[in-house]
Amino acid sequence: MSLPLVVLLPFLGAVAAPLFAQGGRTAIAVASSVPALIALAALFPHWETLADGGVVLHSYEWLPAMGLSFSFRLDGLSLLFALLILIIGLLIILYARYYLKAYENVGKFYALLLCFKGSMLGIVLSSNLLLMMIFWELTSLTSFLLISFWTHKQDARRGARMALAVTGGGGLALLAGILIIGNIVGSFELDDVLAAGDQIKAHAMYPVALTLVLLGAFTKSAQFPFHFWLPHAMQAPTPVSAYLHSATMVKAGIFLMARLYPALAGTEQWFYMVSFTGMATLLIGAYVAMFKHDLKGLLAHSTVSHLGLITLLFGMGTQLAAVAAVFHVINHAIFKASLFMAAGIIDHETGTRDMRRINGLWRYMPHTATLAMVAASSMAGVPLLNGFLSKEMFFAESLELNLPGLIAWLPPIVATLAGIFAVAYSARFIHDVFFNGKPVDLPIYPPHEPPRYMKIPVEILVFACIMVGLFPAVAVGPLLFLAASATLGGEVPEYTLAIFHGFNLPLFMSFVAFFGGLLMYSQRQRFFDFHARFREIDEKAVFENIVLRIVDLANSVTARLENGSLQRYALLLLVSVIAVAAMPLLDLGIFVGENGLSPVDAPTAIAAAVLILCAFATAGLHRQRFYALVLLSVVGLVVALAFARFSAPDLAMTQLSVEVVTIVLLMLAIYYMHPWTPVETPLKRRVRDIAIAGVAGIGMTLVTLAMLTQPFSSISEFFLANSKPGGGGTNVVNVILVDFRGFDTLGEITVLAIAALGIYAMLKDTALTPPPSDGAGHAWARDAHPLMLSLIARPMLPLALMVSAFIFLRGHNLPGGGFIAGLITSIALILQYIASGMEWTEDRIRLRYHNVIGLGLLFATVAGLGSFAFGYPFLTSTFDYITWPVVGKFEVASALIFDLGVYLAVIGATLLSLVTVGRLSPHSAIRPKQEGA
Amino acid sequence: MNHWLTAPVLIPLLGGILQAFMGYAPISLRRTLALATTFLMLVSAIVLLIMANDGSYRIYAFGNWQPPFGIVLVLDRLAALMLVMTAVLALFCHVFSIGGADEGNRQFHGLFLFQLMGLNIAFLTGDLFNLFVAFEVLLIASYGLLMHGGGTVRTVPGLHYVVLNLIGSAVFLISVGMIYSVTGTLNMADLAVKVPQISGEGLSIVKAGGMMLLVVFGLKAAILPLCFWLPRAYSKATAPVAALFAVMTKVGIYAILRVYLLIFGDDAGKLANLGMDWLFPIALATLAMGVIGALGSGTLKTLVAWQVIISVGTLLAPIALGSEAGLSAALFYLLSTTWTVGGLFLVSELVANQRGSAKDRIITAPKMQSRTFLSVLFLVGAVAAAGLPPLSGFFGKVLILQSAEAGTEMAWLWSVLLTGSFLTVIAYSRAGSIVFWRTVDGHLNKPDPLNGRVSVAAGALTALAIAMVVLAGPIMAYTDATAAQLHNADAYIEILQTPMVGEDS
Amino acid sequence: MELVFALVIGALTSSGVYLILRARTFPVVVGLTLLSYGVNLFLFSSGRLATGQQPIIGTAASYADPLPQALVLTAIVIGFAMTAFVVVLSLRNLADNEDDHVDGKQPYKSPAPEEEEEVTGK
Repeated sequence: MSLPLVVLLPFLGAVAAPLFAQGGRTAIAVASSVPALIALAALFPHWETLADGGVVLHSYEWLPAMGLSFSFRLDGLSLLFALLILIIGLLIILYARYYLKAYENVGKFYALLLCFKGSMLGIVLSSNLLLMMIFWELTSLTSFLLISFWTHKQDARRGARMALAVTGGGGLALLAGILIIGNIVGSFELDDVLAAGDQIKAHAMYPVALTLVLLGAFTKSAQFPFHFWLPHAMQAPTPVSAYLHSATMVKAGIFLMARLYPALAGTEQWFYMVSFTGMATLLIGAYVAMFKHDLKGLLAHSTVSHLGLITLLFGMGTQLAAVAAVFHVINHAIFKASLFMAAGIIDHETGTRDMRRINGLWRYMPHTATLAMVAASSMAGVPLLNGFLSKEMFFAESLELNLPGLIAWLPPIVATLAGIFAVAYSARFIHDVFFNGKPVDLPIYPPHEPPRYMKIPVEILVFACIMVGLFPAVAVGPLLFLAASATLGGEVPEYTLAIFHGFNLPLFMSFVAFFGGLLMYSQRQRFFDFHARFREIDEKAVFENIVLRIVDLANSVTARLENGSLQRYALLLLVSVIAVAAMPLLDLGIFVGENGLSPVDAPTAIAAAVLILCAFATAGLHRQRFYALVLLSVVGLVVALAFARFSAPDLAMTQLSVEVVTIVLLMLAIYYMHPWTPVETPLKRRVRDIAIAGVAGIGMTLVTLAMLTQPFSSISEFFLANSKPGGGGTNVVNVILVDFRGFDTLGEITVLAIAALGIYAMLKDTALTPPPSDGAGHAWARDAHPLMLSLIARPMLPLALMVSAFIFLRGHNLPGGGFIAGLITSIALILQYIASGMEWTEDRIRLRYHNVIGLGLLFATVAGLGSFAFGYPFLTSTFDYITWPVVGKFEVASALIFDLGVYLAVIGATLLSLVTVGRLSPHSAIRPKQEGA
Repeated sequence: MNHWLTAPVLIPLLGGILQAFMGYAPISLRRTLALATTFLMLVSAIVLLIMANDGSYRIYAFGNWQPPFGIVLVLDRLAALMLVMTAVLALFCHVFSIGGADEGNRQFHGLFLFQLMGLNIAFLTGDLFNLFVAFEVLLIASYGLLMHGGGTVRTVPGLHYVVLNLIGSAVFLISVGMIYSVTGTLNMADLAVKVPQISGEGLSIVKAGGMMLLVVFGLKAAILPLCFWLPRAYSKATAPVAALFAVMTKVGIYAILRVYLLIFGDDAGKLANLGMDWLFPIALATLAMGVIGALGSGTLKTLVAWQVIISVGTLLAPIALGSEAGLSAALFYLLSTTWTVGGLFLVSELVANQRGSAKDRIITAPKMQSRTFLSVLFLVGAVAAAGLPPLSGFFGKVLILQSAEAGTEMAWLWSVLLTGSFLTVIAYSRAGSIVFWRTVDGHLNKPDPLNGRVSVAAGALTALAIAMVVLAGPIMAYTDATAAQLHNADAYIEILQTPMVGEDS
Repeated sequence: MELVFALVIGALTSSGVYLILRARTFPVVVGLTLLSYGVNLFLFSSGRLATGQQPIIGTAASYADPLPQALVLTAIVIGFAMTAFVVVLSLRNLADNEDDHVDGKQPYKSPAPEEEEEVTGK
């Protein structure tokens, strides 16, 4: 249980820490250090197990389907990193307490810092690669938030986004790599993966997997060509830089290489990719570091260079090199953290980090100076300090590589050259800052020593530098051994952690580096002049530019495609439909099924001709809107006739009544619209549209033809057979509507109702002014409601009501039913509105159509619910026969109540819609009533 | 027969009817009743989920008519999943809306409930034509909702949305006609029986019909090239409506799953896996288009709207590949992305309200009120949407990546999906850092502070991305079972044998 | 007979499609109506054409397929609701943009040059 605890505690702490923010910086700092202390205590007992060559494994099932388990693993390597993360983390917390100003958002800072620490611990302790992946990306996210802690600084924001893009992007590559490895091995558990090294390297996908994994590692560890994000991450508060860029974040990539060393290393590809990347990074970082005037900039580039050094060591692939790599991880973490802190102190006390301004600080802060100088010497690889030891090992290894021909000389030369640079920039760090004349107009003058406790972390780390430098075997021997053996998967080569290995080539290389470096520093002005010839590129600006370019590009692409033109979208839709239907229909061709064609009678032919003509005419004359409307209504009528002709009386009646209502609505509409449509689309587009329309028409014709001439049998036999006995009605269509498929009908009247409510809501606060005259320029007739019309209309209402009642009642047996009856009633009512105007009508017909609609839906639903009472499903109907005066023998089906609902809903919906439209115009005689709803 | 199946339909229906009567009732009363309705609907959905989890099919035959003759509702794991997903989303949107978005139009709650009714019918129905009716119900309601909120900005996008969907409905009817004209039936199970037996010219007709149906569903799901209406319509809609619409595209995806796995599935003889070979490249193209759109968006809402399209592509790619694992992965991602996108719409609205005239545009503006709360919500939403750890989106994407069989498809899927995520991360980090961090000094006339309802709704919906991680185990178990059930069409067909009430089986 | 019927449906479809592709709300609405006529006839005919066989029990020897009729009836009513809505929506568009172009007014114009003629012109 202790390992998951170690990882999760910091996250809990992150939640708790802000609560202490009220108590001041000390309180929160103390609170934040609790998780680390507990974690250290929790790790301590495991030392025994590891020392005996064992591993601690705490594993819990999580998502086996995914291969993701909640499992943690402690061995030498993870212990080493965990200790670095925890101990340096503690020092950072203490340091930050004095670095941050009281007014800053310390709660946020410590919370994020703890989240980051937890994620780092997760990476190094996870025993499941997917789990590690989660923590990996979490470090990208948390570091993004830490780097941009000062959100008001543009540089901070940009640096953070750049870091996120590079490391997060690399993370995605890593994810792909890990998934491939998981596929190969069949498990994401570290033990399985490490055991399956040969299997992985033999697999065809190995090159891909390796490349992807290395992409992840290199981006995280700022390897060339991805190194550029790291220096810009220096916009973060110094404690963050000291933590992320010495011991943790950038070491994650290194850790990954060490972790997967047994599984992936040892191949040609590994050697070339890793070692040459490392070499390039080592050299470039060291070279650039010399010319940085910014204190932290110098340290950042030196970090890049040291990371390259470690990478190169791993790339070499020899066991000793790996040991040296692990050793240098420790040393670099120690001296670089202390240097960053020192730089932070200087920044804190002088108000600047520009080395051209901070000089001769020795006189003002000798204590800090001493510490910084020791650490810097360690960075330069001065003997008797820890940096020297691992560097010596590195030089030795660089000679061991068996490369063909002259290339064999490349590593040692690069190593020495980098060494020279390192000494030079370290010398500059020491000499420029602490000696070299007087300070140049510092923002804070005179500078003085920082608060006592701010120096303690630095002192501890510097002390460690010396201890490791003098007594390596005692100080880090055991830990290093465990870590190395874990890295190499068991077997550890012979190596001695001695200060002096006798006079040999590596020692000579160190001398060359040391004196070469001093010489170079003494001649620095020349190098500066030389370097000044090249324009310095600001990667941040470049990155921003690229992003902006991408955004602009995306923008223009989107604007071209999503151009807000309905014509375009409709075209795309119609063309897609035609395209997908084309294939099968071409197979079909002109096909006449075995039923053949039946003869045509003259009336039908004439009607058809009329219909086709009117349809085309409507399209042709659509600019004269009124004529188009007239033609449209003719089409509608003929369609009704067609239904009647082909034995669908109900359809005919419905079509007819719907037609009337629709035309009335459209008439109302064009009253507000321009009487004609302007010509605006060019000929070529119209031709194109005609072509598309033609294709669509031909397609439909062919399908219909094929369809109509095919023999056919359907489930309708059942309806015909059961309509009377089961549904109690002889009009099968109506029985289907109210019984067999009553649920469709319920849905459909709901649609009507919603449409009406929607229309009402949409026009509630809209007003339209109709054009003063019709198309031909005649003004509208003065008298709103012609007398004749109203005289005829009024007596028609009761008549119409009787008719609709009749139609309604007979609906179950003969053509008719709720719909048609409802529509007839509506038409009659509309006629009243047209004839006598809103006010007159509304004074007499006191209906709130919302309620009519609601009532209709309610009747239909309740009729359906009734059957629940008898244990039958929704909409089950029952019926009985009674004899009525006029209608004669008549059967009352419970479906009749349902149909009544339909009737009401239709009336309510139709009238609500039309009346709302009629009210639109503020100038018409109708004043919109102030009713909401 | 189990009346529970009708609950998700009848509850919102009755609630909606109630709203229609209550035009003059005080707003507080209408709100309470409407919210209660949505809550009851959620309860019923959960009940159905528990029932469906036993892996059997339950049917409800309206009017007690034996399928294929009457209309049936069919409850299986997929339907239940969709119901719960929708109900949860709806509840939070509804809570958000009573924070003030529902004012100015008394029809809002009615339309909202009818919309839910339509959605639930679509998820439950086992009848092709009834699916059409369900689509019309949810569409007409969505038209009304889309126009809610007054002002002129919504009119044109609304018009486009309506016209395109009317064309879509026409095409739907044509396809139904084609299919009926050959098979002579409308019940999906019966169709699954009849389609494999088709021969001769009938094949061409049904094939054409099936493909046209795919286009219709594609329009609903907003796949390329039928997705361009969406960004403006969604980004202009009122926040709770836009958030609820996050489920609308998923209806199209549901319909594709239902129809093309059952009727045109592996056992469909000559018409097996109809159109799926088209679907995969289109899905990837849709994903790419969405990413491009997201990168180019000028407002948060547009960004989220394009995220809808991204998720559609991400969902359809594994579905098109047709593996059971892919299907399960897609379903997990479906759940995650729907809620996340909904949450992001709500958050964007809150941000817009806090930034004065800058609204949700991705530009520098004075520091907003309650920035910390909103930026955290946005961060969570963005991380989940971009598919970064540790939130649900990441798990969905990993599952999808894992589901791909090695081969060219895998290469395509992986590269598009991962590159897409990378660019999405850039888009979100850019938008977020500009909107929340890049502030200028300037006076904002103080916006009214976030009220409890909206904060809770937006927060809770976004937080589901975390909850899903905690519950990932059970959820994956469920989606796996669902995928398995979907791939076994024979079991579905057996519903035709279900005895009716009063019959002895 | 079948051919005539097929031609009718074809004519309705093509004139509908053409009008739907116009740039003003009125022709689009008319086009949608024409298209829906075509679609209704098509759906109706999916039960094949029958003369004098109205599906009313006891009125004929054999009956036309009643199911498509019921479907079309539903479709007609739904179509009516939809038409009504889109008509009103175009009126709303007219009111909001003082213009009945389907893409509203200037701010909605496409930036892409080749679209200019498609959207300009009042």
